[in-house]
Amino acid sequence: MEIRLAGVTKIFDPDIVALEDIYLNIDKGEFVYLVGATGSGKTTLLRLITREIVPTRGQIVVAKRNLRSMRNSILPYYRRELGVVFQDYRLLQHLTVLENVSFILETTGAHPRTVRDVASRVLDDVGLWRLRTHYPLQLSGGEQQRLAIARAMVNSPSVFIADEPTGNLDLHTSEDIMQLLLSINAAGTTVVVATHDQYLVDAYRQRVVELHKGRVKRDESKGRYFVDDEF
Amino acid sequence: MTSFRYIVRDTFRLVSRHWGLSILTLVTAVSLFFLLGSSALFSLNVKNFVSEVEDDLVISVFIKEGEDASNLVASIQELDYVNDIKVIPPDKGLELLRAKLGNQARAVTLIGENPLPWSVQIKVVKAGFVTPLVRDLMAFPDVEEVVYAGHLAEKLSKVSSMMNRVSLAVLILAITITALVLYNTVKIALYSKQKEIEVMLLVGATHTYIALPFVLQGMILSTMGSLIAVMMIAGSYSSITGIVLSTLPFMHIVNDPVLIMRFYLVITGTGMTLGWLCSWFAVHKYIVRACCPE
Repeated sequence: MEIRLAGVTKIFDPDIVALEDIYLNIDKGEFVYLVGATGSGKTTLLRLITREIVPTRGQIVVAKRNLRSMRNSILPYYRRELGVVFQDYRLLQHLTVLENVSFILETTGAHPRTVRDVASRVLDDVGLWRLRTHYPLQLSGGEQQRLAIARAMVNSPSVFIADEPTGNLDLHTSEDIMQLLLSINAAGTTVVVATHDQYLVDAYRQRVVELHKGRVKRDESKGRYFVDDEF
Repeated sequence: MTSFRYIVRDTFRLVSRHWGLSILTLVTAVSLFFLLGSSALFSLNVKNFVSEVEDDLVISVFIKEGEDASNLVASIQELDYVNDIKVIPPDKGLELLRAKLGNQARAVTLIGENPLPWSVQIKVVKAGFVTPLVRDLMAFPDVEEVVYAGHLAEKLSKVSSMMNRVSLAVLILAITITALVLYNTVKIALYSKQKEIEVMLLVGATHTYIALPFVLQGMILSTMGSLIAVMMIAGSYSSITGIVLSTLPFMHIVNDPVLIMRFYLVITGTGMTLGWLCSWFAVHKYIVRACCPE
């Protein structure tokens, strides 16, 4: 699933320019890091792709669908093609690990047997099957992050979007998460990751798009977190 | 079909998760539907009573001596509000008078010659129409005198219209309170699941899938409330009917099983419709706002 942004500007009330004149093409199966300081517009860009917000100006086209003119009745079906890991995980605290994953499949009307099989397989893939009866509050930060990834994976999305997936995690856990993201990408899924994690960006070199004050400052394939002259 | 199964399961989860609120809503719904049903049933009985008395309400028109009753009858038939006309010849009138006087009937024979003129007995459509009809009758030149229970007719008409107004006011009040309580219950349930709904919308749940459990929750509580109220009304009404019929047999109580059953069905239907409308309104407003991109 390819993503095209052309002249995208997002202005929040009152006159806060979050993104300005963004041109960006992400091809199917690509792995892209979105980097930049806090407030540079990374999360806004991800929210535009998930159509939580619409651009003030410009066009966003995902898999030949123009998000600006997309009807609200189509939106649920578009979102089923996305897997999203939120910065704050947004896990449902009153549901168990298994229920948190199953719930996503249920909302799409999947058969109970499919729900059970797919949820178990995905939990097994992220190493959480043994904790399936636990509640999110009983999990560590890394486990909660893996659960959030499992929940985003369960619909076999075409585009995987993760906002700070390794924030507040130790190095070892972050590497585990990164391996998971790479395996998702290896299966052909387009992955877009907004991150502050310099170590991971540098260790697992992929395309880097740097945002600065709402504009694209750098777009580099196999890039590093900082450009060499910034050291 | 699978989605429907999840929706039903989520509905019962909603009802049980907020069981305190559900019970409170149910108790409120029962009380209000009981009030609504009882007042409507009372009003139905008053209407029935008034209509029975109205049926017995007769205007007697006495014709001037030597005038022909058929001309007057033809003119009366053209008037509005007239339900039934009966011409009473003097002999028949005397016979009726004797029957009415009973033991004192001998007093009539003392008079000798039959003093009664031709008369016409008129029944009206509604008690409220007696006074205007009497005014019209008095205007006929053939009419000697008009005798009617004017005071009773007016009182009946007033009681009937007052009961209609009171019932309407109780009905509007009970429906408004029930609607507000149901609306708020669904809104509280929505706010308690705010995070869940947000996630559901982001992972591609349709609006119908999200909305239906809340709509069903409102419908279940309201329908259950009206059903319990109907059972309570049915129980108390059948005992009241039994007592009234044995102690005051002349009272006309609505006792037609088909009519009563229809009345109970209307109350239950009102509960179901009200629940559906209130919860749909609350959910629709919330979801439209939640899914509209900024």
